Amino acid sequence: MTQDKKNDNATAPRIGVYICHCGGNISDHVDVDAVRRQIERMPGVAVARTNMFMCSDPGQAAIAEDLQNGTVDRVVVASCAPSLHEATFRNAIRRAGANPYIYEHVNIREQVSWVHHGETATAKAADLVAAAAAKAGLLKPLTPIRVPATRHATVIGGGVAGLSAARDLAARGIPVALVEKSSYLGGQLARLDRIAPTGERATDLVRELAGAVLEHPDIAVYTDTQVVGCDGYIGNFKLTLRRQAADALIGAQADDIPPAGIRPTGPSAAERQETALETGAIILATGFRSYQPRRGEYGFGEYAPVLTLPALIEKMARQAHQGPLLQIDGRPIRSVAMIHCVGSRQIPGIHTEDEEGRLNEYCSRTCCTATLNAADRIRREHPGTRVYELYRDIRTYGRGQEDLYEQAARNGVVFLRFEPDQEPRVTAADPDDGFALKIQVTDTLTFGETLDVPADLVVLATGMEPNDVSDLVEMMKLPVGTDRFLLEVHPKLRPVEMPVGGIFVAGTCQAPFDVGETCNAAGAAAVKAAAMLTEGHVELDPFVAEVDTARCQGNGACVEACLNPGALNLVEMQIDGQTVQRARVTPALCLGCGACVAVCPTNAIDVCGMTLRQYEAMVDAIVAGPAAAETV
Amino acid sequence: MGPAIQAKENKILVLATESCAYPGADSVGQAHSSYPANVYILRVKAPVLFPERFYLDCFAKGIAGIIVMSCGEECPYDGAYHALARRLDRVYQTMKAQEIDIRRLRLTAICTVCNRAFLNEVNQMNELVQTLISAGHA
Repeated sequence: MTQDKKNDNATAPRIGVYICHCGGNISDHVDVDAVRRQIERMPGVAVARTNMFMCSDPGQAAIAEDLQNGTVDRVVVASCAPSLHEATFRNAIRRAGANPYIYEHVNIREQVSWVHHGETATAKAADLVAAAAAKAGLLKPLTPIRVPATRHATVIGGGVAGLSAARDLAARGIPVALVEKSSYLGGQLARLDRIAPTGERATDLVRELAGAVLEHPDIAVYTDTQVVGCDGYIGNFKLTLRRQAADALIGAQADDIPPAGIRPTGPSAAERQETALETGAIILATGFRSYQPRRGEYGFGEYAPVLTLPALIEKMARQAHQGPLLQIDGRPIRSVAMIHCVGSRQIPGIHTEDEEGRLNEYCSRTCCTATLNAADRIRREHPGTRVYELYRDIRTYGRGQEDLYEQAARNGVVFLRFEPDQEPRVTAADPDDGFALKIQVTDTLTFGETLDVPADLVVLATGMEPNDVSDLVEMMKLPVGTDRFLLEVHPKLRPVEMPVGGIFVAGTCQAPFDVGETCNAAGAAAVKAAAMLTEGHVELDPFVAEVDTARCQGNGACVEACLNPGALNLVEMQIDGQTVQRARVTPALCLGCGACVAVCPTNAIDVCGMTLRQYEAMVDAIVAGPAAAETV
Repeated sequence: MGPAIQAKENKILVLATESCAYPGADSVGQAHSSYPANVYILRVKAPVLFPERFYLDCFAKGIAGIIVMSCGEECPYDGAYHALARRLDRVYQTMKAQEIDIRRLRLTAICTVCNRAFLNEVNQMNELVQTLISAGHA
């Protein structure tokens, strides 16, 4: 695969091009060897190689070796989206002792092999790699901008994720502000009774976590408070906090009110209506809400005995009693039907969209186990109550959860399986039947037999939906998935990082998680944030404006066009013995947007790493392709 | 429509913002939704960087169509989108003066999950350049 090529001009860039198979993701549709053969003939390309996985250790080692032995001094990697591995390859170059900004990334997976096939895919990949090589030839080493980072983190959300993250950050010596919009700490976990499959009391966990947070001297808790403003950048955010109910906590006593959570003692950390907070990192732990069935969905809102699972759990916790029959709201329950996948795994064309035309097509992952836990508990504590579980699939995926399924079956829970296009129908029972409701279900476990299940109570296993954080999404420019959960940079490689530097995500605002997974995510986010802040500074990419004072005539058009006041100024300087005005950039303030570039009449200003000339070279290469370029 | 398209292979250039449209194009790829292979996406911080002459030079070099996929009102650089829109207005004026079909340059806003909108834009531009070329303007 190696095609070394001597370069006649020792001062000319020596470009190394590395093309990834991505294990077939790319090479199943792009002939990567054909691309390599075309590219290695381009002027300036010293070597072109392919590798099954460029991101693997051997792939990165090949780049490092070429850099270290002087074969190349510019690097182009053609692989997946830059959001995944641009940083990987820059770091590999840095470790090899070279400047990481002599690197250009080409996306031939998401934007080629996954959307085009056959010869056109190969031709387009070659054009894009040629364009990247053309740009790489114009790249120059750059120095990152180092800015001090505020040694402070803010956690938004006081549920189990937020509490865990705040505690872990403080344990690493990072002062923390915990912002919770309600009066209570504990979030949705505080609404649960016992956690499956271990049987621990949720309130015990909340008490332990909230206690650790409230007692820690480096954690300021802002309850009844929302973030209403966010400016700045990684290491230097400026948040505006607003208290929603200024008097709610003043003078309040410690008040443990299950199932709503732990209400802190004494005044909130927010002494004023609005508080300005300087912070270095932000962890979003804004949590979830339980799906609210629409009126008429499995009889919800039409028949009083139709409850959601969270409502059943709350009632069982509040109305604990002993006896052969479960009692809910004073009514003995002889038979309960529990319907799974309500508001989860919804299918277009089968399920009804909400008022905004949305369906929850994802699995909420926790409801099967939570439902089985409730069913098993009813059978154990109230053996006179019959329990029917009506399900599509049982997904008890975690440690010990399958055991719960088997235990429920052994304890007499009856399972009926339905197809998504044959959903159970909940109707009022005939008065002669003696039950409030009946559920008609076609059971695929019994060869499609249609059964009428009598029930005094119907429980809907409702799924998770992310809390509405559209204000934060807007404010912080955060990406949101089609499922409306916050979208991390990469689910495996950077699972708790948001694309906006310095902002992390933890818990069920990201996806449906159980309590253990939520704590794992919170711990990971806390460690990431602490690692970043412990250094005391952060390095920013040097993609900011740079003035060529030899060309600058000081006409000030760039200053006028600049979108961030203060980033560009006209200053006096001595050139050839004369005092002249020239533009000067303040790198830490420059946004790198390039608004100045377009207006300069003498082309004296450009954005480092993405100059106008580099874009022009890319367009030239796209128009000409690699075959034409080799004749240049 | 005079000397409208001198394109060699009907190539369409997409200037896609790194915080919105570029990840939006990646999202289309993740969905494995196919679109014409003559669409070339360049990642830009903000298309406000490009002066008027850049677009005209692209057409002169043989680019058949240009779609500027910005963040629209969601642009992280406050004021950049409006500056860009004003600049493209001036480009349109020049295109008219040079008898270049102004439909060959399009400004649109594409978000990180705007899969359908992305596909609509590139397919419409592709249909346009094919039509212009088959009508003898190549």
